[in-house]
Amino acid sequence: MNFDLSDEQQVISDLAAQIFTGQSTVDRVIEVESGDGFDRTLWNELAKAGLLGLCLPEEHGGLNMNMVELVLVLEQQGKTVASVPLWSTSVASMAVAEYGSKELQAALLSSVIEGHNTVSLALSNYGANDVMNPSVTAVDSDGGVKLTGGKPAVSFAQHASHVLVSAKRADDSILLALVDLKASGVTVTPVQASNRQPTANVEFDVVVPASHVVAGLNGNGREALRWVHEHALVGLCALQLGIAQGAITIMSDHVKTRTQFNKPLSAQQAVAVRAADQFVTTEAIRVTTLNAAWRMSEGFDARQDVLVAMYWATEGGHSIVIACQHLHGGIGADISYPVHRYFLWGIQISTELGGASQHLSRLGKLIASK
Amino acid sequence: MSMHIGDSPEEAAFREEVRAWLSQHAAPRSDDGGSWHDDLDAHSVACKKWQRVLFDNGWAGISWPKHFGGRGGSHLQESIFNEEQAKFDAHTGLFAVSLGMVGPTLMAHGTPEQQSEFLPKMLSGVHVWCQLFSEPNAGSDLANVATRAIEDGDDFIVNGQKVWTSMGQYADFGILLTRTEPDSPKHKGITYFIVDMKSPGIEVRPLVQMTGVAHFNEVFLTDVRIPKANIVGDLHGGWAVANTTLTSERGFIGGGSSSWSVDELIDFARERGLDKDPVVRGKLAECYARAQTLTYLGYRLRTTASRRTMPGPEMFVMKLAYARHWSRTMDIAMEIAGAEGMLSGDAAGDALHWQHNLLGQFAIRLGGGTNEVQQNIIGERGLGLPREPSVDRDQPWRLLAKG
Repeated sequence: MNFDLSDEQQVISDLAAQIFTGQSTVDRVIEVESGDGFDRTLWNELAKAGLLGLCLPEEHGGLNMNMVELVLVLEQQGKTVASVPLWSTSVASMAVAEYGSKELQAALLSSVIEGHNTVSLALSNYGANDVMNPSVTAVDSDGGVKLTGGKPAVSFAQHASHVLVSAKRADDSILLALVDLKASGVTVTPVQASNRQPTANVEFDVVVPASHVVAGLNGNGREALRWVHEHALVGLCALQLGIAQGAITIMSDHVKTRTQFNKPLSAQQAVAVRAADQFVTTEAIRVTTLNAAWRMSEGFDARQDVLVAMYWATEGGHSIVIACQHLHGGIGADISYPVHRYFLWGIQISTELGGASQHLSRLGKLIASK
Repeated sequence: MSMHIGDSPEEAAFREEVRAWLSQHAAPRSDDGGSWHDDLDAHSVACKKWQRVLFDNGWAGISWPKHFGGRGGSHLQESIFNEEQAKFDAHTGLFAVSLGMVGPTLMAHGTPEQQSEFLPKMLSGVHVWCQLFSEPNAGSDLANVATRAIEDGDDFIVNGQKVWTSMGQYADFGILLTRTEPDSPKHKGITYFIVDMKSPGIEVRPLVQMTGVAHFNEVFLTDVRIPKANIVGDLHGGWAVANTTLTSERGFIGGGSSSWSVDELIDFARERGLDKDPVVRGKLAECYARAQTLTYLGYRLRTTASRRTMPGPEMFVMKLAYARHWSRTMDIAMEIAGAEGMLSGDAAGDALHWQHNLLGQFAIRLGGGTNEVQQNIIGERGLGLPREPSVDRDQPWRLLAKG
C-alpha cells in the first residue's frame, strides 16, 4: 500500500505546475478572456512538453501514461483556471486510442500531440442530461452513419478541429463518432457559458464515414461510452481539485490579511472554522480522485470509486467555491478580483456531467442492489 | 516506489494469514455488534480473554518492537490486522487506552525500567490502563490542569479531580497529568505520572450516560502518594509527553475500527424494505462515499506514517471527517429504524445497535479534541491561518482565571 506519487508522477506534476503557473498568470487569463478565449501560447507549451500526448501510445509520439498522470496535470490547470481544451482533447483522443481504428488513430493522434488538432467532447444532452441516453440519433447509411440532432454546451467547439459525439440508434444501441467540426452539415453556434470559457451548441445533420465511427459498429458502443464517461468524470474531478485548491489559497490569503475590528478576519472563529472546513473537503476530493484514477489505470472496476469522487467534486466542490466567494465579502463581487473565476468554474464543473444527486442516485443503485 | 492504493502482494498474503488465524480463534461478528454496551463487566472479561489469546499467539503489539515484547511488524500490518479483526466478535475496547495511547507514550518517553515493568503486562492484558487527563476546568484547554502534585521525599503527593476517564473502573494503572509548578506558564509546569489505581486516596465514580452504561468515570485523588520513579519524561516537562499520547489518541479515534459499518446499514435498510426507496438510497450512497473517503484518508495517513514521524494536518482532517461521518450515519440509521428508533433496551430490537451509536456519538465528536479544536488546528496547519492570539500562554498559571 502506498499513497505517494512515484518519482515519475511527481516530475509530471511539477512540470505541469511550472507550465501552468508560468504561463497562465492572472493577467494572461484576463487577456485571453478578452480575446477568443483559447490560450494558444499555453497550448503550444503543453505540446512542446509532451503533455498533450500524456496518455497516448508511444507509436504516435505519446508518453503512454495513464489517468493518475492526467489527473495531476488537470489539477494544475484547475489551480490556474487556464483556458485550454485539455480535458476534452485528452479524454477524446484517449478514446480514439482505445477504441478507434488504426487509420483513425494515425490520422488524429500525432496531430493532437503536436498541438495542431484539438477535440471537443459532446457527452451532455438536452433535457435530463443522462449521458447514457444520447439525444443525437444515428442511422446506418451507405458507407457510414447519419447523425441527426443537437448537443448543448460543448466546451471549445468553436475552436476545436473535431468533436467526439455520442449518439443512439433506434434500437437503443449506442455509437461514438469523431466528427470534423468544419464539415458541412455540422452547425456550431457559439454561446456564452457561465464560466466564460469558449462554448458552443452543436447541431448535426451529417453522414460520418465508417472509418470515423470510434465505437458502436461491433456492438461495443455502450461499453465505450461508459469508458469515455468514466474518464471524463475523473478528469472533471481533477479540474475541480485544482479549482478547490486555487480558491482556498486566494481565500486564506484574504482572511489572513484583511483586517476588520482591528484584527485579521481569520481571528474570528466563525471565519476560521468555515475556512478550515473547505480544506477538509478539498482533501476528500483529492484522495477519492486519486483512488478512482489509480483503479482505472490498473484496469480494476472503478464504477463506484468514480461516483464517490464525483460526489465530492460536485457537492463538495460546489460548497467550497461558494464558501470561498462568500468569505471575500464585497471584494469578491468585483470581477477585477480573481476569486470569482474559481466560483464560476466550480459551479460549471458541478453541472457539466450531472450534479451530485445524479451521481448519488447511481451510486445508491449500485450499492443497494448488491 | 510506485503508487499502490490497496494491498501489495506481501500485504495480501499477510491479510490471508491473519484471516485464517482469526477464523480459527474467533466467531464471525454477529448482527448485534453493539450488545456489549449493555454489559460492561462481561465486555471487560471478554476483552481480557481475547488479549491473552492475541498475546499467546504472537499477535499482541504487532507494530511494537520485539524488545518491548511486540511482534516487530509494521504499522500497516497492524492496520490490516485491525481491519480483519473488526469482522469478528473480538472484544478489544478495554485496551484501547493501554495499547493505543499509553504504550506508544512509554516507548517514546519512558525510562528503561518503566518500559520493562509495564509494557509486557500491557500486551498480555494483565494490566488495564486509563487516562487521567481531563478535568472539570481543563477540557479543550487541557494545559490548564489543576490537579496538584507536591514533592515529598521520594514521592509526590497528589490532590485533585479528573473526569471522562474511559473504563477507569476496570483500570490497574493510569497516566496522570498534574500541576507541579504553578508559577510557570501553563504548558511549562505540568508533570506526567504513572499512577497505580489501587493507591490509597483514589476514588473512581462511574458516570452513567444516555446509553445507560458508565463508559466514563470521575476520579478523585486525595493525598495520593506516587513515587518519583513513576514520572514519565522530565519533571515539569509533561506537556510534550502528553502530546505524544494525544496524537496517538487522535490516530486511533480517526482510524478506529467502528462498532458498525455502512454495509450493515444497507442490510438494515434492506430488512425494512427501504433499499429501493430512492431518497434512502441517496442517503446510503452519501454514507458510502464518506466511508470510502475515510478509507483513503487512512491509507494516505499510513503512507505518511511509514515515511516520517509527525503527520501534517491529515490526522486532524481524518478525525474530524470520522466524527462527522459517524454522526450523519446515525441520523440516517434512525430514519431507517422508524418507530422502533424511539424505543430503548430489548424493545428496540435491531434498532438498538444504531441507537446506541447515535447516543454514543459524543465520545467520538469530543474525545481526542473536539471537532472545533480539530477545525482550529486545520486552519492553522492546513491553511496557514495565524494562531489565535492567546492571552494566557506566557503568564504564570497561578494568575490565570480559574473555571
